[in-house]
Amino acid sequence: MGEDAESPKINHTFLRDYVTEADVISTVEFNQTGDLLATGDKGGRVVIFQRETEPKGESEEVGETGDSGEYNVYSTFQSHEPDFDYLKSLEIEEKINKIRWLPQQNAAHFLLSTNDKTIKLWKVSERDKRPEGYNLKDEEGRLKDISTITSLQVPVLKPTDLMVEVRPRRVFSNGHTYHVNSISVNSDGETYLSADDLRINMWHLGITDRSFNIVDIKPANMEDLTEVITAAEFHPHHCHLFVYSSSKGTLRLCDMRASALCDKHTKLFEEPEDPGSRSFFSEIISSVSDVKFSHSGRYLLTRDYLTAKVWDLNMDKGPVETYQVHEYLRSKLCSLYENDCIFDKFECVWNSSDSVIMTGAYNSFFRMFDRETGRGVTLEAWRESSKPRAVLRTRRVYTGGKRRRGDVGVDSLDFTKKILHMAWHPSENIIAIAATNNLYIFQDRVNPDHTQ
Amino acid sequence: MIMKGQKRKLPPEEVEVSDRSSPFWESQRQFVFSVSLNKYQRGQELPEPSLRRSVLIANTLRQVSLEGCGAPSMDMEVSQPPCSSSSALQESITNSHSAPSSCPLVSSNYFSNCAVSRSPVSCHSSASNVPLSAKNEDEDWESMSMDPDFSLSAAISSILTALDSTIDGSPQAAQRAPLRSLENLAGPTEGAVAWMKHGVRGYGGSWEQQENSMEVMRSSYLNDVTVEDLFQDIDTSLLEREMGVLGLRGSGGGYPTGDDLLRYLPPLSSSSSPLLPFSLSLNQKCLPSFSSFSPLSSSSSSSPSLSSPPFSSQNHMREGLELEHLMEILVES
Repeated sequence: MGEDAESPKINHTFLRDYVTEADVISTVEFNQTGDLLATGDKGGRVVIFQRETEPKGESEEVGETGDSGEYNVYSTFQSHEPDFDYLKSLEIEEKINKIRWLPQQNAAHFLLSTNDKTIKLWKVSERDKRPEGYNLKDEEGRLKDISTITSLQVPVLKPTDLMVEVRPRRVFSNGHTYHVNSISVNSDGETYLSADDLRINMWHLGITDRSFNIVDIKPANMEDLTEVITAAEFHPHHCHLFVYSSSKGTLRLCDMRASALCDKHTKLFEEPEDPGSRSFFSEIISSVSDVKFSHSGRYLLTRDYLTAKVWDLNMDKGPVETYQVHEYLRSKLCSLYENDCIFDKFECVWNSSDSVIMTGAYNSFFRMFDRETGRGVTLEAWRESSKPRAVLRTRRVYTGGKRRRGDVGVDSLDFTKKILHMAWHPSENIIAIAATNNLYIFQDRVNPDHTQ
Repeated sequence: MIMKGQKRKLPPEEVEVSDRSSPFWESQRQFVFSVSLNKYQRGQELPEPSLRRSVLIANTLRQVSLEGCGAPSMDMEVSQPPCSSSSALQESITNSHSAPSSCPLVSSNYFSNCAVSRSPVSCHSSASNVPLSAKNEDEDWESMSMDPDFSLSAAISSILTALDSTIDGSPQAAQRAPLRSLENLAGPTEGAVAWMKHGVRGYGGSWEQQENSMEVMRSSYLNDVTVEDLFQDIDTSLLEREMGVLGLRGSGGGYPTGDDLLRYLPPLSSSSSPLLPFSLSLNQKCLPSFSSFSPLSSSSSSSPSLSSPPFSSQNHMREGLELEHLMEILVES
């Protein structure tokens, strides 16, 4: 699993650089078709981008296929406001922890957004027509003088400027004592789960005043608490299966058919610890920060501090693949513990065909691994070093051996520039990378579709 | 490697030392211990500490304590890292580690086990098979001085208990009522009793704080009552005398100074029978363990090896017994 400085096969063209000067972005998510991209930020706002579909005739250039639209802002709304818990005298952060889109069922789009405590269902709908020709009111809405009405007319829908309306449809509150870290929509289209540090609840999308607790790892005696839930997700196809990860590096697959309360896992995925590499920080770096089912539903992708691992659902003894994201940090764990970077939670994503996985790192770097060859590549999401439509060059961190031009030394890495949140288009090679308060969207122009 | 603009406080080991026999291992262990302690306490000062972070830091603290107890090196040079705020504790720890080998083990099964009994403890360490150490009279002195490690662990676990009680609104809250009535007692006010009253009042006062913060704790991991708040009302002059008796004052022995120890103790727990430590300690005619106020560790103060009782005078003894009797009644009611 070595890294190449140049990987001609993975050569991305930089389509556009979208810089949003909003607050720090805390979550990024494509919808199921990839036409909409939602970002949430620390200020509780959600910004939705929509992909423009250009007519084929106008923009076709050599090498470009149709539908090579760019993402433009579609709607912005305040999802969560800063809240105050009067009982505990605590502020509740409005930071959006996760956004998940619902499968589209009609013209409107629905998404779930959550902060630490409250989950909200938003309806995003368009209005581009309005009725004109009322009998009793004029165009401004004023009542007409009845004596002036001589005939009846049927109001006609006339096109107007596009208006995007976003309305809260449900508010799921008071379900969590601890901080919500994950939400996941079930494949049944009716339910979703929300997970906090110690509990996982299952909600019905239509019912807001109660939820069903399906996992509770809170010990009877809080002295015994040594493990928390870090992420949870429903299986993409089986509505009875879900997985949750823990701070101790374990994954638990649960089957809701087995029992109402899924404290007892159906399968436990755990990699035996390597005694040779044990250190004071072994547990902290084993803490899983993100877990994602593959699109096929066969594999799990997890991210811990130094690695990304692929697990086969059929094999619980250990991961089938392990990718070193930034192994050069292993000798720096002490410093990273001191400056708190060791607690950073990186996300990980699959591409549409489950052949490539991607995750973030420091210094605005993010890494992609080709599962077939095992090779990894480092890319950079940094405005200064890439111009629109430029080819994204691969980067390298110098860890010894022959130093090449452009290599970055480990001690020169900027640990404040972390790529924590990202998303991959569901069917094309378009990725969205959140770098602090900037959003980068990259598209593979050479191989826009997943079929490579 | 450091964040920009930050001054590096000490040079951490650049290479991760996993080999216990390496000379750097112990210094790194102590560095990690002190950093963990700092983080832990700073985390508790936050209005709403992150549970995941707190648990990871607590687990690291635990592991570091375990590994330190497992094989403390006799001849190692103890480094004195200039950590910004924990130099005193660091000194205490390093000095305590220069003491003879056998040390009480921190059971990963909740320190309460180790803290409770001084007899050989079965250690449920999941990390490794650390050999048990049989405690005898001679070792208890050193074990007392080793208490900072334990005590913190015990305190951590007791705080977790507190969180539990607040979130679930346990009936423990109701038992606090009897405490208040003590403040109204007009008893002999000299000596230990005055101290007791102060202590209880201080404790009771802190309960108010704790009650208010109980709700706060519903989602926060740990109590935000600080040790300073708790001990504000206690007549420390008496304490210093007593602790001098116990040898807790640094006097060439290099044992942790009481004040410093107090400063670095994690916040107290809201245990169900907070007076137990006091009653039991009086019963045993010695001070309660300042390492922890959790009921499970109360009998840690029942160390028979303490050289002299704190209440040296007969008068104090009698008053102490009366007070103990009083408190037993209150606890039962």
